[in-house]
Amino acid sequence: MRRFALPLLAASSLLLVVAASAATRPHYGGILRVALRAAPASLDPADPNQPGSLARSNISRLMFDTLVTLDNRGRLHPSVATSWEAEPGNQRWHVYLRRGLSFHDGSAVTSDAVAASLRAANPTWKIFPLGDAVVIECDAPDPNLPAELALSRNGIAKRDGKLLGTGPFAVADWQPGKKLTLTARDDYWGGRPFVDSIVIEMGKSFRDQMISLDLGKADLIEVAPEQAHRAAMENRSVQSSAPLELMALVFTRDRQSAEEGRLRQALVLSIDRAAMNTVLLQGGGEPAGGLLPNWMSGYAFLFTTDVNLPQARQVRGEVRQASPWTLGYDPADPVARVVAERVALNARDAGLSLQLSGSNSADLRLVRVPLVSLDPRVALASLATALGLPQPKFPGDSGDSLYAAETALLDSQRVIPLLHVRVAAGIGPTVRNWTASADGIWPLQDVWLSAEKP
Amino acid sequence: MTSANHNAVYNAPIPPMLIPPSRWLRAACPLLLAVLLLTTSAARATDWAGPEEQLAHKIAAVTGPGAVAFDVTNRSSLTKADSDDIRRGLLVQLAALGLRFVNAEQAAATIQVTLSEDLRNYIWVAEIHQGTNQPAVVMTSLPRPDAPIPMREPAGLTLRKTLLWAQPDRILDAAVLEGSPAHLVVLDPKQVALYRFQDSRWQPEQSLPITHVRPWPSDLRGRLVLRHDHLFDAYLPGVFCRSSATAPLALNCYPSDDPWPLGSDQFSLSAFFTPARNYFTGALAPGLGKQTTAPAFYSAALLPREKYTLGLFAAVDGQLHLLDGITDRAAGRLGWGSDIAGVKSNCGSGWQVLATRSGDGPNDAVRAYEFPDREPVAVSQPVDFAGSITALWAESAGGGAVAVSHNLETGRYEAFRLTITCGQ
Repeated sequence: MRRFALPLLAASSLLLVVAASAATRPHYGGILRVALRAAPASLDPADPNQPGSLARSNISRLMFDTLVTLDNRGRLHPSVATSWEAEPGNQRWHVYLRRGLSFHDGSAVTSDAVAASLRAANPTWKIFPLGDAVVIECDAPDPNLPAELALSRNGIAKRDGKLLGTGPFAVADWQPGKKLTLTARDDYWGGRPFVDSIVIEMGKSFRDQMISLDLGKADLIEVAPEQAHRAAMENRSVQSSAPLELMALVFTRDRQSAEEGRLRQALVLSIDRAAMNTVLLQGGGEPAGGLLPNWMSGYAFLFTTDVNLPQARQVRGEVRQASPWTLGYDPADPVARVVAERVALNARDAGLSLQLSGSNSADLRLVRVPLVSLDPRVALASLATALGLPQPKFPGDSGDSLYAAETALLDSQRVIPLLHVRVAAGIGPTVRNWTASADGIWPLQDVWLSAEKP
Repeated sequence: MTSANHNAVYNAPIPPMLIPPSRWLRAACPLLLAVLLLTTSAARATDWAGPEEQLAHKIAAVTGPGAVAFDVTNRSSLTKADSDDIRRGLLVQLAALGLRFVNAEQAAATIQVTLSEDLRNYIWVAEIHQGTNQPAVVMTSLPRPDAPIPMREPAGLTLRKTLLWAQPDRILDAAVLEGSPAHLVVLDPKQVALYRFQDSRWQPEQSLPITHVRPWPSDLRGRLVLRHDHLFDAYLPGVFCRSSATAPLALNCYPSDDPWPLGSDQFSLSAFFTPARNYFTGALAPGLGKQTTAPAFYSAALLPREKYTLGLFAAVDGQLHLLDGITDRAAGRLGWGSDIAGVKSNCGSGWQVLATRSGDGPNDAVRAYEFPDREPVAVSQPVDFAGSITALWAESAGGGAVAVSHNLETGRYEAFRLTITCGQ
């Protein structure tokens, strides 16, 4: 048998070569030009002062690998870590590191360096090196720890004066908030990226980005969700994600009385989410009754998104006096402004008074929070953190427990989900091998540039 | 004992007519259950028994044994066959736990099971309504096999129908005028009727008779087109009617062979209708690209392409013809009926074709298709109608279509608005 195996193997390899040569193989080289609206002042993935956004995650993942990654179905895969195991109780975890990795300056990735990196991002964890592994002790049992390690904030970084990562690209030039130039690492453990470098222009409005794409000055841009359909109809190549950014109203304090709870309920009932999505977002999202979208939880349809003005008025009528609320929003976000105005209008129809405000001390705020993980428990916990809500409790790993945890957050009446918004990217004609990921992350290390436009 | 019975408060009595069948069912129940068990166990391609049993136990723990109303909705990628299979399995499991299935009016609890899914699992959710309490929710999950998942907009779209109006006389077309209040215009062989939306229903406002000299042909057809400078035009075989612009409306009808507009407002394409028949002659005005004629056809749908407009014509010869401005290609017999309409949505490629189903069955269906290349791809489940479809026209604004069906049960004509929403 063994004697015949080699010729067969050779024949099959030849077939593979023939088959592969029939298609265009990826090109190495070129500069990928990207435009972004966000203008981060820091590249540190663990910097708590930077607002969480998909753009920030996209940038971070180019430079900073995580210990594990999640695929498009939320399943764990090894990355800087090759394996992991929990001690009984899921509070203490051993994570085993891949050998032979280096930071961008050539220094070795050690368990000491990994432990130091994780400590910066997770001050409440106890982390210490143990040979080729790191041991992580959480402050409570955490069966979802491996999925948490896949969050971009847990990207492995060396912070010795200069910020260094282990990712496929290294920083060549960094002008905070303006421009980032990255060069491909020839020695990247996961394989050299196809493009030679990536130049990211930051702080560009959606309009300026679109002009850059149309003029051929950018290869990849963000497209506002409400513009995605139109942009596609105008013959641009636009890729939209699943709805993954939560737009919600968040009360800055707990309800103080049963009456206030009824007023909040009246507000929930008054909001016409479908109209917001259709008219304001041009179908760029989905009405949200829950915090997690249905494609992630499987049960979000249980949370109603229907407007019920008669009931809203009835509930409002049960409270004799209601002080006006102030509603804060990001004045730099044009969609946030129109959504806030629509919320105020809907509320008025129910007899509630909402005054728009650009102040941070408003009674409730309109926020946009991306889903940072494809693991629903980690995504929900991250949402709770971003929204200033108590951490959800998951008594088990069943769907019931996830549902119960999310229901408890909603029952607190601190948050009112409005919409789940798609994230769209405009892609230039020379960009190849673009594969949209479920979490909206741009797979730039897999992209290549063709020499000619189609 | 007797008086106690008299004073007790019970559910509404079961109508006498229902008693014999239910007694018969009760007697036959073990036999039916055995047959059901045998058929399900023999025919099941996938073994859902474990999760069915798990969910059934969770449901029964809430309801206890007794009479329940039960329904299953599929929101997942499971096929209808699988969904039906699971429904049967759940019924068997619940019956084994002492639950009996009755109408909602007679039930102590209502159980709505939804077959859903997340990224990795099938999620089966049961909502249990008992009295006026908040519904109890129980669920179970099982791993979903690997399959490509939609990263962009889901390929599947949902075609929805909304009843606009029903009447004994044949409806030729209907149109909704958005506004405050909204108005409904209904075209029938004798008149154009105007209704105002008030108190949650359409209230008659005005009736405008249609005058015509020649008798209508059999299988009368007609189309309403909303206008900007006046309210609407009505096209009928050999007759054209134009409304006035302001209330009270007037309608001016006169003999005319003017071509009828095809598709929605954004296409300036018209076609000549055969006055004494039920189809278009095929002569186009001004034409589609360089083509000024199509085969004689019953209906058309127009789909914008990057550099041209693709015209689909449900031809009298039974074939679908595709005209791209230069060539005429017969797509063959696709199992489509005579009525098609192009609809602009915010889903998928942006434009879909609604097509009736061919065949001689009593009930029609409409389904949405896309033409990614030159072959149709079904993108929605069929929407069924309780009778034959007698008209299907694109709305003037292009965002939907109006279908008229002749309900075989009620004998009334029903006008529905058909719209497409993204996702399943």
